[in-house]
Amino acid sequence: MGLLDASGDLSSEIEVDAFRCLFPLRFYERHLAESIWPDGSPLGRARETSIAPGAVASADGSALAKIGSTVTVDFHMPPICSPIVRPGRPAEAAPVFSKQLSDTISSSGMINLKELSLVSGKAAWMAYLDIYCLDADGALFDAALLSAIAAFSHLQIPAVSLNDDDPTAEEETIMETVVTVVLDSSSQLISLYKPGGAVLASTSAVQDCIALTRQRVRELLKILDEANSSMEVD
Amino acid sequence: MEYVSPEGLRLDGRRPMEMRQIRAEIGAVAKADGSAVFEMGNTKVIAAVYGPREVQHRSQQMSDQALVRCEYSMANFSTGDRMRKPKGDRRSTEISLVIRQTMEACILTHLMPRSQIDIFVQVLQADGGTRSACINAATLALADAGIPLRDLVTSCSAGYLNSTPLLDLNYVEDSAGGPDVTVGFLPKLDKVTLLQVQNLLNCVILGRFSALVVGKMDSKLPIDTFENVMQLAIEGCKAIANYIREILLENTKQLEYRRGL
Repeated sequence: MGLLDASGDLSSEIEVDAFRCLFPLRFYERHLAESIWPDGSPLGRARETSIAPGAVASADGSALAKIGSTVTVDFHMPPICSPIVRPGRPAEAAPVFSKQLSDTISSSGMINLKELSLVSGKAAWMAYLDIYCLDADGALFDAALLSAIAAFSHLQIPAVSLNDDDPTAEEETIMETVVTVVLDSSSQLISLYKPGGAVLASTSAVQDCIALTRQRVRELLKILDEANSSMEVD
Repeated sequence: MEYVSPEGLRLDGRRPMEMRQIRAEIGAVAKADGSAVFEMGNTKVIAAVYGPREVQHRSQQMSDQALVRCEYSMANFSTGDRMRKPKGDRRSTEISLVIRQTMEACILTHLMPRSQIDIFVQVLQADGGTRSACINAATLALADAGIPLRDLVTSCSAGYLNSTPLLDLNYVEDSAGGPDVTVGFLPKLDKVTLLQVQNLLNCVILGRFSALVVGKMDSKLPIDTFENVMQLAIEGCKAIANYIREILLENTKQLEYRRGL
Protein backbone atom coordinates (compact mmCIF):
# COMPACT_ATOMS: atom_id res chain seq x y z
CA MET A 1 0.00 0.00 0.00
CA GLY A 2 2.78 2.49 -0.87
CA LEU A 3 4.33 4.33 1.99
CA LEU A 4 2.27 3.17 4.94
CA ASP A 5 3.03 -0.35 6.02
CA ALA A 6 0.53 -3.06 5.19
CA SER A 7 1.35 -5.66 7.80
CA GLY A 8 -1.53 -7.75 6.52
CA ASP A 9 -3.83 -7.77 9.50
CA LEU A 10 -7.14 -5.95 9.37
CA SER A 11 -6.46 -3.44 12.16
CA SER A 12 -3.63 -1.64 10.35
CA GLU A 13 -5.68 -1.52 7.12
CA ILE A 14 -8.53 0.18 8.92
CA GLU A 15 -6.16 2.76 10.33
CA VAL A 16 -4.83 3.64 6.90
CA ASP A 17 -8.33 4.02 5.45
CA ALA A 18 -9.46 6.14 8.39
CA PHE A 19 -6.36 8.32 8.08
CA ARG A 20 -7.05 8.77 4.36
CA CYS A 21 -10.65 9.86 5.08
CA LEU A 22 -9.91 12.13 8.03
CA PHE A 23 -6.70 13.81 6.85
CA PRO A 24 -6.65 13.55 3.05
CA LEU A 25 -4.17 16.37 2.56
CA ARG A 26 -1.60 14.89 4.93
CA PHE A 27 -2.14 11.43 3.43
CA TYR A 28 -1.22 12.67 -0.04
CA GLU A 29 1.58 14.94 1.19
CA ARG A 30 3.34 12.03 2.82
CA HIS A 31 3.29 10.15 -0.46
CA LEU A 32 4.35 13.12 -2.56
CA ALA A 33 7.34 13.65 -0.25
CA GLU A 34 8.55 10.25 -1.46
CA SER A 35 7.50 11.04 -5.07
CA ILE A 36 4.96 8.26 -5.40
CA TRP A 37 1.16 7.91 -5.66
CA PRO A 38 -0.73 5.95 -2.95
CA ASP A 39 -0.75 2.87 -5.17
CA GLY A 40 3.05 2.90 -5.37
CA SER A 41 3.46 4.13 -8.95
CA PRO A 42 5.89 7.00 -9.69
CA LEU A 43 4.50 10.53 -10.10
CA GLY A 44 5.11 10.82 -13.84
CA ARG A 45 2.82 7.89 -14.63
CA ALA A 46 -0.82 8.46 -15.58
CA ARG A 47 -3.60 5.95 -14.91
CA GLU A 48 -4.34 3.13 -17.29
CA THR A 49 -6.05 4.47 -20.38
CA SER A 50 -8.02 2.44 -22.85
CA ILE A 51 -10.22 3.28 -25.81
CA ALA A 52 -12.96 1.18 -27.33
CA PRO A 53 -14.13 2.78 -30.55
CA GLY A 54 -17.47 1.76 -31.96
CA ALA A 55 -18.84 0.95 -28.52
CA VAL A 56 -22.34 2.03 -29.48
CA ALA A 57 -23.41 0.37 -32.71
CA SER A 58 -26.61 2.38 -33.15
CA ALA A 59 -24.79 5.71 -33.25
CA ASP A 60 -23.27 6.94 -36.45
CA GLY A 61 -25.42 9.95 -35.92
CA SER A 62 -25.44 12.85 -38.21
CA ALA A 63 -28.55 14.76 -39.23
CA LEU A 64 -29.34 16.80 -42.31
CA ALA A 65 -29.74 20.52 -41.72
CA LYS A 66 -30.82 23.35 -43.99
CA ILE A 67 -27.84 25.70 -43.69
CA GLY A 68 -24.39 25.74 -42.13
CA SER A 69 -22.37 22.82 -40.88
CA THR A 70 -21.69 22.74 -37.17
CA VAL A 71 -20.63 20.38 -34.44
CA THR A 72 -22.79 20.43 -31.32
CA VAL A 73 -21.09 19.04 -28.24
CA ASP A 74 -23.11 17.92 -25.26
CA PHE A 75 -21.54 16.56 -22.09
CA HIS A 76 -23.93 14.66 -19.84
CA MET A 77 -23.36 13.64 -16.26
CA PRO A 78 -26.22 11.31 -15.35
CA PRO A 79 -26.80 10.44 -11.68
CA ILE A 80 -25.09 7.10 -12.31
CA CYS A 81 -21.65 8.62 -12.45
CA SER A 82 -21.22 9.95 -8.96
CA PRO A 83 -22.85 9.99 -5.52
CA ILE A 84 -23.02 13.80 -5.59
CA VAL A 85 -25.11 14.04 -8.75
CA ARG A 86 -28.81 13.68 -7.99
CA PRO A 87 -31.88 13.94 -10.23
CA GLY A 88 -32.96 17.30 -8.83
CA ARG A 89 -29.44 18.65 -8.67
CA PRO A 90 -27.51 18.28 -11.95
CA ALA A 91 -23.71 18.53 -11.91
CA GLU A 92 -22.49 22.10 -12.26
CA ALA A 93 -19.46 20.88 -14.16
CA ALA A 94 -21.43 19.42 -17.07
CA PRO A 95 -22.21 22.60 -19.07
CA VAL A 96 -18.71 23.91 -18.28
CA PHE A 97 -17.14 20.84 -19.84
CA SER A 98 -19.54 21.06 -22.79
CA LYS A 99 -18.35 24.59 -23.50
CA GLN A 100 -14.66 23.75 -22.96
CA LEU A 101 -14.86 20.74 -25.24
CA SER A 102 -16.74 22.71 -27.87
CA ASP A 103 -14.11 25.46 -27.80
CA THR A 104 -11.20 23.03 -27.88
CA ILE A 105 -12.60 21.11 -30.82
CA SER A 106 -13.36 24.21 -32.86
CA SER A 107 -10.15 26.10 -32.06
CA SER A 108 -7.93 23.12 -32.77
CA GLY A 109 -9.32 22.91 -36.27
CA MET A 110 -9.35 19.15 -36.02
CA ILE A 111 -12.61 18.94 -37.92
CA ASN A 112 -12.72 20.36 -41.41
CA LEU A 113 -16.19 21.87 -41.51
CA LYS A 114 -16.02 22.02 -45.30
CA GLU A 115 -16.07 18.22 -45.31
CA LEU A 116 -19.50 18.38 -43.72
CA SER A 117 -20.98 20.43 -46.53
CA LEU A 118 -23.28 18.67 -49.01
CA VAL A 119 -24.61 21.32 -51.36
CA SER A 120 -22.65 24.54 -50.91
CA GLY A 121 -24.84 27.24 -49.43
CA LYS A 122 -27.89 24.99 -49.26
CA ALA A 123 -27.39 21.83 -47.24
CA ALA A 124 -24.80 20.47 -44.84
CA TRP A 125 -24.38 17.79 -42.19
CA MET A 126 -24.72 18.66 -38.56
CA ALA A 127 -22.63 16.51 -36.30
CA TYR A 128 -23.91 15.89 -32.80
CA LEU A 129 -21.41 14.69 -30.28
CA ASP A 130 -22.91 13.34 -27.06
CA ILE A 131 -20.60 12.31 -24.27
CA TYR A 132 -22.01 10.47 -21.28
CA CYS A 133 -19.92 10.23 -18.14
CA LEU A 134 -20.70 6.82 -16.61
CA ASP A 135 -18.20 6.82 -13.76
CA ALA A 136 -16.71 10.07 -12.43
CA ASP A 137 -13.34 9.56 -10.80
CA GLY A 138 -11.62 12.82 -11.72
CA ALA A 139 -9.96 14.01 -14.93
CA LEU A 140 -13.35 14.20 -16.64
CA PHE A 141 -12.26 16.71 -19.26
CA ASP A 142 -9.32 14.52 -20.24
CA ALA A 143 -11.44 11.43 -20.61
CA ALA A 144 -14.17 13.35 -22.44
CA LEU A 145 -11.77 14.88 -24.94
CA LEU A 146 -10.09 11.53 -25.51
CA SER A 147 -13.40 9.82 -26.17
CA ALA A 148 -14.47 12.66 -28.47
CA ILE A 149 -11.29 12.23 -30.48
CA ALA A 150 -11.68 8.47 -30.62
CA ALA A 151 -15.26 8.87 -31.81
CA PHE A 152 -14.23 11.31 -34.53
CA SER A 153 -11.29 9.11 -35.59
CA HIS A 154 -13.75 6.30 -35.91
CA LEU A 155 -15.45 8.58 -38.43
CA GLN A 156 -12.11 9.14 -40.16
CA ILE A 157 -11.35 12.73 -39.32
CA PRO A 158 -7.80 13.86 -38.33
CA ALA A 159 -7.16 13.69 -34.60
CA VAL A 160 -6.01 15.90 -31.76
CA SER A 161 -4.70 14.57 -28.45
CA LEU A 162 -4.15 15.95 -25.04
CA ASN A 163 -3.28 16.40 -21.56
CA ASP A 164 -1.88 16.12 -18.13
CA ASP A 165 -1.54 13.64 -15.30
CA ASP A 166 -4.93 12.46 -14.21
CA PRO A 167 -6.04 13.26 -10.63
CA THR A 168 -8.80 11.19 -9.10
CA ALA A 169 -12.02 12.70 -7.70
CA GLU A 170 -10.66 12.35 -4.17
CA GLU A 171 -7.52 14.25 -5.11
CA GLU A 172 -9.50 16.93 -6.92
CA THR A 173 -11.36 17.85 -3.75
CA ILE A 174 -8.14 18.79 -1.97
CA MET A 175 -6.29 20.21 -4.97
CA GLU A 176 -5.62 23.91 -4.88
CA THR A 177 -5.79 24.49 -8.60
CA VAL A 178 -5.67 22.70 -11.94
CA VAL A 179 -3.91 23.54 -15.18
CA THR A 180 -5.30 22.06 -18.39
CA VAL A 181 -2.96 21.89 -21.39
CA VAL A 182 -4.10 20.78 -24.85
CA LEU A 183 -1.55 19.90 -27.53
CA ASP A 184 -2.08 18.51 -30.99
CA SER A 185 -0.29 15.51 -32.45
CA SER A 186 2.69 17.64 -33.55
CA SER A 187 2.99 19.08 -30.02
CA GLN A 188 1.72 22.50 -31.01
CA LEU A 189 -0.10 24.27 -28.21
CA ILE A 190 -3.87 24.39 -28.84
CA SER A 191 -5.04 25.77 -25.54
CA LEU A 192 -4.03 26.46 -21.97
CA TYR A 193 -6.55 26.90 -19.20
CA LYS A 194 -5.97 27.82 -15.60
CA PRO A 195 -9.13 28.93 -13.76
CA GLY A 196 -8.75 31.85 -11.36
CA GLY A 197 -8.15 31.16 -7.68
CA ALA A 198 -5.93 31.68 -4.68
CA VAL A 199 -2.91 29.86 -6.10
CA LEU A 200 -0.56 31.49 -8.59
CA ALA A 201 1.16 29.23 -11.11
CA SER A 202 4.77 30.22 -11.68
CA THR A 203 6.25 30.11 -15.20
CA SER A 204 8.34 27.06 -14.32
CA ALA A 205 5.27 25.21 -13.02
CA VAL A 206 3.43 25.91 -16.26
CA GLN A 207 6.42 24.80 -18.30
CA ASP A 208 6.59 21.58 -16.27
CA CYS A 209 2.93 20.95 -17.05
CA ILE A 210 3.54 21.47 -20.76
CA ALA A 211 6.49 19.06 -20.70
CA LEU A 212 4.40 16.41 -18.95
CA THR A 213 1.68 16.91 -21.54
CA ARG A 214 4.12 16.43 -24.40
CA GLN A 215 5.07 13.07 -22.93
CA ARG A 216 1.43 12.09 -22.44
CA VAL A 217 0.63 13.05 -26.05
CA ARG A 218 3.09 10.44 -27.24
CA GLU A 219 1.53 7.77 -25.05
CA LEU A 220 -2.00 8.64 -26.15
CA LEU A 221 -1.16 8.73 -29.86
CA LYS A 222 0.18 5.22 -29.53
CA ILE A 223 -3.00 4.04 -27.76
CA LEU A 224 -5.21 5.71 -30.37
CA ASP A 225 -3.27 4.12 -33.21
CA GLU A 226 -3.54 0.68 -31.66
CA ALA A 227 -7.26 1.09 -31.09
CA ASN A 228 -7.86 2.30 -34.63
CA SER A 229 -5.83 -0.45 -36.27
CA SER A 230 -7.59 -3.12 -34.23
CA MET A 231 -10.91 -1.67 -35.43
CA GLU A 232 -9.81 -1.90 -39.06
CA VAL A 233 -8.83 -5.54 -38.70
CA ASP A 234 -12.40 -6.29 -37.53
CA MET B 1 -45.43 -7.64 -43.16
CA GLU B 2 -44.08 -11.07 -42.37
CA TYR B 3 -42.50 -11.41 -38.96
CA VAL B 4 -42.29 -15.19 -38.95
CA SER B 5 -41.27 -16.91 -42.17
CA PRO B 6 -43.01 -20.10 -43.36
CA GLU B 7 -39.95 -22.03 -42.14
CA GLY B 8 -40.52 -20.61 -38.69
CA LEU B 9 -37.67 -18.06 -38.59
CA ARG B 10 -37.98 -14.52 -37.32
CA LEU B 11 -36.49 -11.40 -38.91
CA ASP B 12 -33.20 -11.83 -37.06
CA GLY B 13 -33.05 -15.58 -37.69
CA ARG B 14 -34.28 -16.68 -34.27
CA ARG B 15 -36.88 -19.32 -33.58
CA PRO B 16 -40.14 -18.08 -31.98
CA MET B 17 -39.22 -19.35 -28.51
CA GLU B 18 -35.60 -18.30 -28.71
CA MET B 19 -34.31 -15.46 -26.55
CA ARG B 20 -31.57 -13.09 -27.70
CA GLN B 21 -28.07 -13.52 -26.36
CA ILE B 22 -27.74 -12.09 -22.87
CA ARG B 23 -24.59 -10.76 -21.25
CA ALA B 24 -24.14 -9.20 -17.83
CA GLU B 25 -21.27 -7.56 -15.99
CA ILE B 26 -21.20 -6.54 -12.33
CA GLY B 27 -19.38 -3.56 -10.89
CA ALA B 28 -19.03 -1.47 -14.03
CA VAL B 29 -19.30 1.85 -12.13
CA ALA B 30 -16.62 1.98 -9.46
CA LYS B 31 -18.09 5.06 -7.78
CA ALA B 32 -21.49 3.49 -7.19
CA ASP B 33 -22.35 1.22 -4.27
CA GLY B 34 -23.57 -1.34 -6.76
CA SER B 35 -23.70 -1.40 -10.54
CA ALA B 36 -24.24 -3.67 -13.51
CA VAL B 37 -24.37 -3.68 -17.28
CA PHE B 38 -27.00 -5.89 -18.90
CA GLU B 39 -27.29 -6.72 -22.59
CA MET B 40 -30.15 -8.50 -24.35
CA GLY B 41 -29.18 -8.78 -27.99
CA ASN B 42 -28.47 -5.23 -29.14
CA THR B 43 -30.21 -3.64 -26.17
CA LYS B 44 -27.63 -2.45 -23.68
CA VAL B 45 -28.33 -0.75 -20.36
CA ILE B 46 -26.28 0.24 -17.35
CA ALA B 47 -27.68 0.44 -13.81
CA ALA B 48 -26.15 2.03 -10.73
CA VAL B 49 -27.38 1.84 -7.15
CA TYR B 50 -26.51 4.36 -4.46
CA GLY B 51 -27.62 3.50 -0.96
CA PRO B 52 -28.75 3.00 1.61
CA ARG B 53 -27.82 6.60 2.28
CA GLU B 54 -29.24 9.67 3.96
CA VAL B 55 -32.56 10.89 2.60
CA GLN B 56 -32.16 13.95 0.38
CA HIS B 57 -35.46 15.62 1.34
CA ARG B 58 -36.16 15.29 5.04
CA SER B 59 -39.89 15.57 4.45
CA GLN B 60 -39.90 12.32 2.47
CA GLN B 61 -38.09 10.33 5.10
CA MET B 62 -40.00 7.32 6.43
CA SER B 63 -39.44 6.15 9.96
CA ASP B 64 -40.18 2.49 9.35
CA GLN B 65 -38.70 1.77 5.91
CA ALA B 66 -36.30 2.89 3.23
CA LEU B 67 -37.33 5.26 0.45
CA VAL B 68 -36.70 3.83 -3.01
CA ARG B 69 -36.17 6.16 -5.97
CA CYS B 70 -35.62 5.26 -9.56
CA GLU B 71 -34.73 7.22 -12.66
CA TYR B 72 -34.78 5.80 -16.18
CA SER B 73 -33.16 7.72 -18.98
CA MET B 74 -32.06 7.00 -22.52
CA ALA B 75 -28.82 8.25 -24.01
CA ASN B 76 -29.24 10.60 -26.96
CA PHE B 77 -27.54 8.07 -29.19
CA SER B 78 -29.37 4.99 -27.96
CA THR B 79 -31.94 4.93 -30.76
CA GLY B 80 -31.49 5.19 -34.52
CA ASP B 81 -32.21 8.93 -34.62
CA ARG B 82 -30.79 11.25 -32.00
CA MET B 83 -33.34 11.78 -29.24
CA ARG B 84 -34.24 15.31 -28.30
CA LYS B 85 -35.58 14.69 -24.80
CA PRO B 86 -34.07 11.60 -23.22
CA LYS B 87 -35.76 12.00 -19.87
CA GLY B 88 -38.64 13.89 -18.31
CA ASP B 89 -40.92 12.81 -21.15
CA ARG B 90 -43.95 10.69 -20.39
CA ARG B 91 -42.52 7.36 -21.48
CA SER B 92 -39.39 7.74 -19.33
CA THR B 93 -41.42 8.85 -16.34
CA GLU B 94 -43.75 5.90 -16.71
CA ILE B 95 -40.93 3.39 -17.03
CA SER B 96 -39.17 4.93 -14.02
CA LEU B 97 -42.32 4.35 -12.01
CA VAL B 98 -42.71 0.77 -13.24
CA ILE B 99 -39.12 -0.11 -12.39
CA ARG B 100 -39.34 1.57 -8.99
CA GLN B 101 -42.48 -0.30 -8.01
CA THR B 102 -41.08 -3.60 -9.23
CA MET B 103 -37.81 -3.26 -7.33
CA GLU B 104 -39.47 -1.82 -4.24
CA ALA B 105 -41.55 -4.97 -3.97
CA CYS B 106 -38.47 -7.14 -3.65
CA ILE B 107 -36.24 -4.94 -1.45
CA LEU B 108 -36.57 -5.59 2.29
CA THR B 109 -37.12 -1.90 2.97
CA HIS B 110 -38.14 -2.36 6.59
CA LEU B 111 -34.53 -3.30 7.38
CA MET B 112 -33.26 0.16 6.44
CA PRO B 113 -35.59 2.78 7.94
CA ARG B 114 -35.00 6.51 7.48
CA SER B 115 -32.71 5.90 4.52
CA GLN B 116 -32.86 6.21 0.75
CA ILE B 117 -31.94 3.82 -2.01
CA ASP B 118 -31.40 5.34 -5.48
CA ILE B 119 -31.56 3.21 -8.59
CA PHE B 120 -30.43 4.88 -11.82
CA VAL B 121 -30.70 3.13 -15.17
CA GLN B 122 -29.28 4.49 -18.39
CA VAL B 123 -30.08 2.97 -21.76
CA LEU B 124 -27.01 3.01 -24.00
CA GLN B 125 -28.48 1.08 -26.94
CA ALA B 126 -32.19 0.48 -27.46
CA ASP B 127 -33.42 -2.44 -29.55
CA GLY B 128 -36.65 -3.47 -27.83
CA GLY B 129 -37.09 -4.84 -24.32
CA THR B 130 -35.42 -1.89 -22.62
CA ARG B 131 -37.60 -2.04 -19.54
CA SER B 132 -36.83 -5.74 -19.10
CA ALA B 133 -33.13 -5.15 -19.50
CA CYS B 134 -33.36 -2.30 -16.97
CA ILE B 135 -35.09 -4.47 -14.37
CA ASN B 136 -32.50 -7.23 -14.81
CA ALA B 137 -29.65 -4.74 -14.56
CA ALA B 138 -31.23 -3.15 -11.47
CA THR B 139 -31.50 -6.55 -9.77
CA LEU B 140 -27.80 -7.23 -10.35
CA ALA B 141 -26.84 -3.73 -9.21
CA LEU B 142 -28.86 -4.12 -5.99
CA ALA B 143 -27.21 -7.47 -5.32
CA ASP B 144 -23.80 -5.91 -5.99
CA ALA B 145 -24.60 -3.15 -3.50
CA GLY B 146 -25.39 -5.76 -0.88
CA ILE B 147 -28.93 -4.53 -0.37
CA PRO B 148 -31.13 -7.21 1.23
CA LEU B 149 -33.60 -8.62 -1.27
CA ARG B 150 -36.62 -10.85 -0.88
CA ASP B 151 -35.78 -12.52 -4.20
CA LEU B 152 -34.19 -11.67 -7.54
CA VAL B 153 -36.50 -9.97 -10.02
CA THR B 154 -36.04 -10.93 -13.64
CA SER B 155 -37.97 -9.62 -16.58
CA CYS B 156 -38.63 -10.64 -20.13
CA SER B 157 -41.08 -9.69 -22.86
CA ALA B 158 -43.15 -11.76 -25.26
CA GLY B 159 -45.58 -10.98 -28.07
CA TYR B 160 -47.86 -12.46 -30.68
CA LEU B 161 -47.33 -11.87 -34.40
CA ASN B 162 -48.39 -13.87 -37.47
CA SER B 163 -50.34 -16.12 -35.08
CA THR B 164 -47.17 -17.15 -33.26
CA PRO B 165 -46.14 -16.40 -29.70
CA LEU B 166 -42.68 -14.81 -29.83
CA LEU B 167 -40.17 -14.51 -26.97
CA ASP B 168 -38.02 -11.42 -26.33
CA LEU B 169 -39.15 -8.94 -28.96
CA ASN B 170 -36.65 -6.67 -30.64
CA TYR B 171 -37.50 -3.11 -31.72
CA VAL B 172 -38.97 -4.00 -35.11
CA GLU B 173 -41.21 -6.72 -33.65
CA ASP B 174 -42.20 -4.45 -30.77
CA SER B 175 -43.28 -1.68 -33.14
CA ALA B 176 -45.35 -4.06 -35.24
CA GLY B 177 -48.51 -3.19 -33.31
CA GLY B 178 -49.20 -6.67 -31.97
CA PRO B 179 -49.78 -7.32 -28.26
CA ASP B 180 -46.69 -6.98 -26.12
CA VAL B 181 -46.43 -8.54 -22.65
CA THR B 182 -43.68 -7.65 -20.19
CA VAL B 183 -43.39 -9.83 -17.12
CA GLY B 184 -41.49 -9.25 -13.89
CA PHE B 185 -40.92 -12.52 -12.11
CA LEU B 186 -39.64 -13.66 -8.71
CA PRO B 187 -37.98 -17.03 -9.44
CA LYS B 188 -37.59 -18.39 -5.92
CA LEU B 189 -41.08 -17.46 -4.82
CA ASP B 190 -42.41 -18.43 -8.26
CA LYS B 191 -44.58 -15.32 -8.42
CA VAL B 192 -45.25 -12.70 -11.06
CA THR B 193 -44.68 -9.24 -9.66
CA LEU B 194 -45.06 -7.14 -12.81
CA LEU B 195 -47.38 -7.76 -15.71
CA GLN B 196 -47.60 -5.06 -18.32
CA VAL B 197 -49.63 -5.65 -21.42
CA GLN B 198 -49.81 -3.32 -24.36
CA ASN B 199 -51.88 -3.38 -27.53
CA LEU B 200 -54.41 -5.82 -26.19
CA LEU B 201 -58.19 -5.98 -26.41
CA ASN B 202 -60.69 -7.72 -24.20
CA CYS B 203 -58.23 -8.88 -21.66
CA VAL B 204 -59.93 -10.58 -18.73
CA ILE B 205 -57.80 -11.31 -15.74
CA LEU B 206 -57.40 -13.04 -12.81
CA GLY B 207 -56.48 -12.95 -9.23
CA ARG B 208 -52.93 -14.36 -9.30
CA PHE B 209 -51.06 -11.19 -10.10
CA SER B 210 -50.17 -8.34 -7.82
CA ALA B 211 -49.89 -5.71 -10.58
CA LEU B 212 -51.59 -5.42 -13.92
CA VAL B 213 -51.55 -2.63 -16.43
CA VAL B 214 -53.63 -2.85 -19.59
CA GLY B 215 -52.50 -0.59 -22.39
CA LYS B 216 -54.22 0.68 -25.48
CA MET B 217 -56.62 -1.58 -27.31
CA ASP B 218 -55.72 -2.41 -30.87
CA SER B 219 -55.82 -6.10 -31.70
CA LYS B 220 -57.80 -9.05 -30.48
CA LEU B 221 -56.26 -11.80 -28.46
CA PRO B 222 -58.21 -14.81 -27.17
CA ILE B 223 -57.61 -15.41 -23.51
CA ASP B 224 -55.85 -18.75 -23.74
CA THR B 225 -53.46 -17.36 -26.34
CA PHE B 226 -52.69 -14.57 -23.93
CA GLU B 227 -51.95 -17.15 -21.24
CA ASN B 228 -49.53 -18.89 -23.63
CA VAL B 229 -47.74 -15.66 -24.35
CA MET B 230 -47.51 -14.86 -20.67
CA GLN B 231 -46.24 -18.34 -19.87
CA LEU B 232 -43.60 -17.95 -22.56
CA ALA B 233 -42.44 -14.71 -20.99
CA ILE B 234 -42.27 -16.42 -17.60
CA GLU B 235 -40.07 -19.15 -19.05
CA GLY B 236 -37.81 -16.44 -20.43
CA CYS B 237 -37.65 -14.89 -16.96
CA LYS B 238 -36.63 -18.24 -15.44
CA ALA B 239 -33.82 -18.64 -17.97
CA ILE B 240 -32.56 -15.14 -17.19
CA ALA B 241 -32.78 -15.89 -13.46
CA ASN B 242 -30.48 -18.90 -13.91
CA TYR B 243 -27.99 -16.79 -15.80
CA ILE B 244 -28.10 -14.03 -13.18
CA ARG B 245 -27.55 -16.55 -10.40
CA GLU B 246 -24.47 -17.89 -12.22
CA ILE B 247 -23.08 -14.38 -12.63
CA LEU B 248 -23.60 -13.60 -8.94
CA LEU B 249 -21.97 -16.86 -7.84
CA GLU B 250 -18.99 -16.20 -10.09
CA ASN B 251 -18.72 -12.70 -8.69
CA THR B 252 -18.76 -13.99 -5.12
CA LYS B 253 -16.05 -16.50 -5.94
CA GLN B 254 -13.92 -13.68 -7.33
CA LEU B 255 -14.45 -11.63 -4.17
CA GLU B 256 -13.51 -14.60 -1.98
CA TYR B 257 -10.41 -15.22 -4.05
CA ARG B 258 -9.33 -11.59 -3.80
CA ARG B 259 -9.74 -11.59 -0.06
CA GLY B 260 -7.64 -14.70 0.12
CA LEU B 261 -10.31 -16.97 1.62
